[in-house]
Amino acid sequence: MSAAKVKMREKKMRNQPASVQYPSSSSNVESSTQNGADAPGTGENADPLKGGLSEVHPSTERKKKTPHQSGWVRGHHKDGGGYTKEMPKYITAGAFARARAAEVSAMLKAVRKTTSSSHVFEALPKHMRRRAMSHNTKRLPHRLREVANRMREKSLQAGSKKKKEPAKSKSRKARRRHGNLLLEFNRRQRKNIWLETHIWHAKRFHMVKKWGYCLGDRPTYKCYRACYRAMSSHCLLQDLSYYCCIELQGDEDKLVAALSQLTSKEAGPTFAAALCLSGRRQGSVMVYRAGRYPSQPLGPVTFLWRPRTQGSMHRQLWIWAHPTLKQDLLPELQTVCQCCEAVIPPAAPVEVNPTLEADSEPENTPEAKPVPGTKRKRSRKDATGPPAKKILGDGTRLPSTPVSWRSSSNGIVINDLTMEIVRYRLIGPQSHSVLVDTLEAATGCDEVQKSQTCSLWWPQHCSDEAKMTLHQQQADIFNILKGIYSTAELPSGTVLGLTVDDPRLTLPRKRVKALPCVKQAQEVDEEKRRKLMLEGVPEPCCQSFIWEQSVRDNVTDNKISEQELNRMRSEVLVPGSRLSPTPLQGRVPILLVHQPGKQVGHEMSSWGAGWDLLLPKGWGMAFWIPLVYRGVRIGGLNMSLKHSQNKAAPHFPRDYPDCPAGMCFQEEQEAELLDKFKRHPPAKRTNYIKHGCVAPFRCPWQQLAEEWEIIVQEGGSQAQITAQADAVTEERTSQQAISITKPLSRFTVLRNRKALRLLSAWCRPTTSKGQRPCRVGELPPISCEAVTSFLSAHAMSLVWVHVSLLSKGKPEYHAMLCVPTPEDLKALGNRQGTGGPQEPPHRDHFKSRIKRRKKDPKKAATSSVTPDKPDGKEAELIFASDLDTNASKDPKSFSESSSDLILGLWPDPLPSVASHCSRVTVGWVTQGDFSMSAGCGEALGFVSVAGLLNTLLNQTSEHKGKLLLRNPTSLHYRFAKINIEV
Amino acid sequence: MTEPRNPSMSSIPQTGPAHTDSPAVEMDPVEYTLRKRLPRKLPKRRNDVYVNMKTDFRAQLARCQKLLEGGGHREICVHGLGLAINRAINIALQLQASSQGALQLAANTSTVELVDDLEPEDPDEAGEPMTRTRNNSAIHIKVFYPDAQ
Repeated sequence: MSAAKVKMREKKMRNQPASVQYPSSSSNVESSTQNGADAPGTGENADPLKGGLSEVHPSTERKKKTPHQSGWVRGHHKDGGGYTKEMPKYITAGAFARARAAEVSAMLKAVRKTTSSSHVFEALPKHMRRRAMSHNTKRLPHRLREVANRMREKSLQAGSKKKKEPAKSKSRKARRRHGNLLLEFNRRQRKNIWLETHIWHAKRFHMVKKWGYCLGDRPTYKCYRACYRAMSSHCLLQDLSYYCCIELQGDEDKLVAALSQLTSKEAGPTFAAALCLSGRRQGSVMVYRAGRYPSQPLGPVTFLWRPRTQGSMHRQLWIWAHPTLKQDLLPELQTVCQCCEAVIPPAAPVEVNPTLEADSEPENTPEAKPVPGTKRKRSRKDATGPPAKKILGDGTRLPSTPVSWRSSSNGIVINDLTMEIVRYRLIGPQSHSVLVDTLEAATGCDEVQKSQTCSLWWPQHCSDEAKMTLHQQQADIFNILKGIYSTAELPSGTVLGLTVDDPRLTLPRKRVKALPCVKQAQEVDEEKRRKLMLEGVPEPCCQSFIWEQSVRDNVTDNKISEQELNRMRSEVLVPGSRLSPTPLQGRVPILLVHQPGKQVGHEMSSWGAGWDLLLPKGWGMAFWIPLVYRGVRIGGLNMSLKHSQNKAAPHFPRDYPDCPAGMCFQEEQEAELLDKFKRHPPAKRTNYIKHGCVAPFRCPWQQLAEEWEIIVQEGGSQAQITAQADAVTEERTSQQAISITKPLSRFTVLRNRKALRLLSAWCRPTTSKGQRPCRVGELPPISCEAVTSFLSAHAMSLVWVHVSLLSKGKPEYHAMLCVPTPEDLKALGNRQGTGGPQEPPHRDHFKSRIKRRKKDPKKAATSSVTPDKPDGKEAELIFASDLDTNASKDPKSFSESSSDLILGLWPDPLPSVASHCSRVTVGWVTQGDFSMSAGCGEALGFVSVAGLLNTLLNQTSEHKGKLLLRNPTSLHYRFAKINIEV
Repeated sequence: MTEPRNPSMSSIPQTGPAHTDSPAVEMDPVEYTLRKRLPRKLPKRRNDVYVNMKTDFRAQLARCQKLLEGGGHREICVHGLGLAINRAINIALQLQASSQGALQLAANTSTVELVDDLEPEDPDEAGEPMTRTRNNSAIHIKVFYPDAQ
């Protein structure tokens, strides 16, 4: 510390003139002559001063000349009695004056000279300072400007010395030129994939780089409530093109057999569910590693079978998966399908190159460049090289990466269709009216067009009678949609294939809100509408040409460019009317997939139902803008989380802690939150130790499951749990420390339908008003035997629960779910108004340790590992092992321990998570918020099955399923009701 | 659809157990999960009030009163479905009583077709999901100020 002070002082004194200090001198004369010689240049300046000085301060001078002092001395000294003796008899006026003059000039110099690195404007009084003075010297008073300019130049030079000046960039005009802009965009897409709507989103959204994509997280404008309202009463639009599509082709029975290894019937319908297999419905399924049903889940996928073509067993299946899931899923699919031969030669060039060239083709056709002015530029560009092409699809993938795999044994082909298909999701009861407004079934082509032979797909289809009748049927069904009032009226998961006209042709001039039209609705045949509502779309109508690679490519290649379209628009007689005749290229095969809304629970059922719109790639923006013009709201990732939260559905990477992607997400989240926590100054951080929150940034599920397993094995009741759990922790930690190699059974999330249904029935209060004891008779009532048999199968499991708060409070993520004591429940029964019990504040044992380390940085490495009370053994073990390791490791361990000890956070290893607080913890919340649909705080989280059953056994029937919820930053417990919804 | 609070306004069918309605369809209750769809929703005017069993009775009554007095509507329609019929009648009568006879009522009944989805839980996966319709009664009460003549 002192070294730093000395340094600082040195820095300050650097500019001080040395002549002020008098070295110890034996005789006055000598010293004064020295001083006089030191400052010869001050001559005239000092003259007027010297007389005054010598007159006014005769005594001070005298004092300074005390011989035994070096330098200046303040005040009288004890041995001041010595002065009189040494008083000079006489003063040489000239030498004395010169010496004083030197002193004065030195003083003036010191006063004028600014110390250290201060800027010029620091010399100004505060009220004269202005913003950005250092940047713009004209804001300074005139007299200081010159100095400031000099200083600025100096600093600029210093800056340029350090880092090389960046290459001078092109002018903005040059940069914004179309070709250059495209090149720049292509460069930026090389690392993270851009969706087709990227530019649109980037102008309006906070973008995040996630999972290898650039995605919009939330809009920059305030629209949280507006988006919620859109979801519940109108329509919210999302771009979900980042979901990965994997295509499987092969014989039906072989595909089903292969895929059955990945799923289990216990967890709900699988790939082979009859209705999904026919292609009439979209299905969703939980995928596991092959043959590892309960223990190794991968994640949820949705899938869609292509309807059967007559007399063929060859089927096509699309599996839609989240990008984080894809990397695990794809190898797994390859193993179960025995597809290991990558089809490189034709696939690789065909995949990438045509997409690049495709876009430029229509531009190069003669009718595409009607304006002669552009010719010059084009020719110039051609001379330099091929023009920049817009990247469609995956820009990060190397051309040589295989996207297709074939099996030699069973003929199954796997295609990776990532970014080949655009997927938009419309959420809300009016999403069908938005679709009906935007899309129009494709118009047929007249005879002249039919007779022309060209490469476009639609005229060829028009000549086929069967295809046209199918198209007519599909168009009829699409028109029936006008007659329904809410998207939720349709059977969930319905699929409708369709061919539509280019929606840009009917773009309204102004943004209007699409609403259902009562008049149109009454025109629709009632009988047909009823049939659609009850049975959904008939099988043939689910067919769409988007399934065919050739048609997709054809459509993508032959898209009319925006420029061409605008030219056609300008030629229309009545501005804003529909463009006619429809250009031949403007027919797009699409697929509409109904998304079910809230399916669990009794309230708000089918909230958030909607449609997914699947398009061939390249057409993203052509559909996006017309949709936006129908008055929909646009949501980002944030809104999709809220959507699933209101639906009480788990959200993929976040709520799957047992999947690899979920674990990865948890780690990322922890790092992010910890980083945020550390950014606060220590005094402003929440002390989580004092709040009794062991793990505020993550949920140690494994530890929780293990602890509860042991507690239950030993047959714990409320009172014993605490003591036991402590013992358990010690046991566990010591076990871990000694033998980490011991195989631990991993926790799993309970997804067995039957077991969930049983648990759900046990959670429900049996005698509550408004709830019928439905079918409880068929299920065994909760009892010790039933619980033990249940636990024998699912002891290490967690179960997904939906928590709704009984009184006020807003749950946050990582809030604890705790077991209320009988007294708490009694208090709840007596007075509804009471908010719930309080947790007594905990003591922070680590604070003193941190302080100690701060004082003594040398010893920190050892003192930070010094055992505290609960984790004594553990720490000793670590200490011992530290000693074993060689000295070179020391700095590392120091940094580790210093990162371990953060004020307000428990260092690893954590103490017992279950029994840390006065109420026993059974689980945590993974997402929670104030739910605007329920009007109270709602959360979704996991609890340990063992802990839950133990709680339920001890609870009386009217309080079944009531738990306490406590936020990490609060000491207040709130009562909450849990529901397990199947 | 001008009202943002649409879902809460919808009347939620809370009728008796579903499988008592149609004995013709025999099924094993374990194998199917019953999922009720929402009743069909019609576009509603500002003076339509759909009564449900979840919202507080007084709040619904207050809403009706506000429409009649502050909202400037000469008439409102109170709709109730199934279990909520009782409450709809109650609200209408309360409105009439509190107006000291100035309001008149005109009640209509109707039958609403509701749709249930039955999803097979059967692990063999051969079962087709079924859709059934059942009927429920509804009441539509017009509460209005009679014309001055």
